[in-house]
Amino acid sequence: MLDKYTCLAKLAAKRTDEVVVTTMSVAMPWAAHSDGPLDFAHVESAMGHAADFALGLAIARPERRVLCLNGDGSTLMSLGVLVTLAQRPARNLTLVITENGTYEVTGSQPVPGAAFIDYAQICRGAGLQHVYTIDDDDDFDAQLDQHFAATGPVVFIWKIAPATEPVPKPARPIGERARRLRAALVGQG
Amino acid sequence: MLSAANIIAALERHAITHVLGVPDNGSCVLYEQLWKHDSIEVILTSREGEAYGLASGLYLGGAHPLVLIQNTGFLEAGDAFRGTAYNMGIPLVMLVGYRGFATLAPDAPRVDTAATFFEPTLKAWNIPYTAMHTDDDLGQLDAAFAEAQATSLPTAVLLVAETA
Repeated sequence: MLDKYTCLAKLAAKRTDEVVVTTMSVAMPWAAHSDGPLDFAHVESAMGHAADFALGLAIARPERRVLCLNGDGSTLMSLGVLVTLAQRPARNLTLVITENGTYEVTGSQPVPGAAFIDYAQICRGAGLQHVYTIDDDDDFDAQLDQHFAATGPVVFIWKIAPATEPVPKPARPIGERARRLRAALVGQG
Repeated sequence: MLSAANIIAALERHAITHVLGVPDNGSCVLYEQLWKHDSIEVILTSREGEAYGLASGLYLGGAHPLVLIQNTGFLEAGDAFRGTAYNMGIPLVMLVGYRGFATLAPDAPRVDTAATFFEPTLKAWNIPYTAMHTDDDLGQLDAAFAEAQATSLPTAVLLVAETA
């Protein structure tokens, strides 16, 4: 089992100019490491749609890696997007599914199927060919560079320990976050 | 009928790079003709809500997307629309097929709730919209692009007739 906070710290230490899209229980822990224009907290938004949002960014900016740090609850809300990711593959897209089996920010209620769901099998069944499940620190360290370098779309499923995070509250409203991301990518607000 | 060729010409004029959505009976000809155009990439989504997230990412990355869906899918996609394109302030034009429009006539033998729910929902969500009944209405598309740019918000064009 992985510790989410340790994983995020290691990822942040390796990150350079990639876009990082975060959701729910990852958003604020990631913001503690980096909260610049290329860090987009996909909250106050539409739960389940961070992956399609990240796919759009990746298609528009093929020269830049886009990482989407999604939760398992968020993934379940739009499973069909996994097929969309496979159908329109973006070589620069990395999808992380942080799997802790709970809706963490609402009090850690279990997500549907928490006891038996197999995200790797679902991803492969959707047509995604590069899918890796990581459940210990040694494996995480070995795979860390691949989060930035592997040919996408690549999926890493982090088996993380349950934790407690409050409802995420980014420092800026979503419209402002969107404008500064666009400004960073294309030079316009 | 609405000419798919004329609509595509308008999309090219407005430098649309990507069309996103789910085909329906009214838009199928438009989709089929779009697939033949190299200048516009068509990306089918598994559900309409994805189209709004995808479009928002594309726009923030510098592309010029357009969403093409049916009103049934629009109703399904409400939270995705609200939470992505609307909240992010994306000047997105969406073409939305108006399934059931004919059933709104007073003498229609049955009512299609996809139609009766549609315009009240657009109004409730404060989405500016216009409609295209025939090719004479193609100027509505230009107006929608202008409004989306002026407001930095999504705008809808309702496709009342099928494309051919």
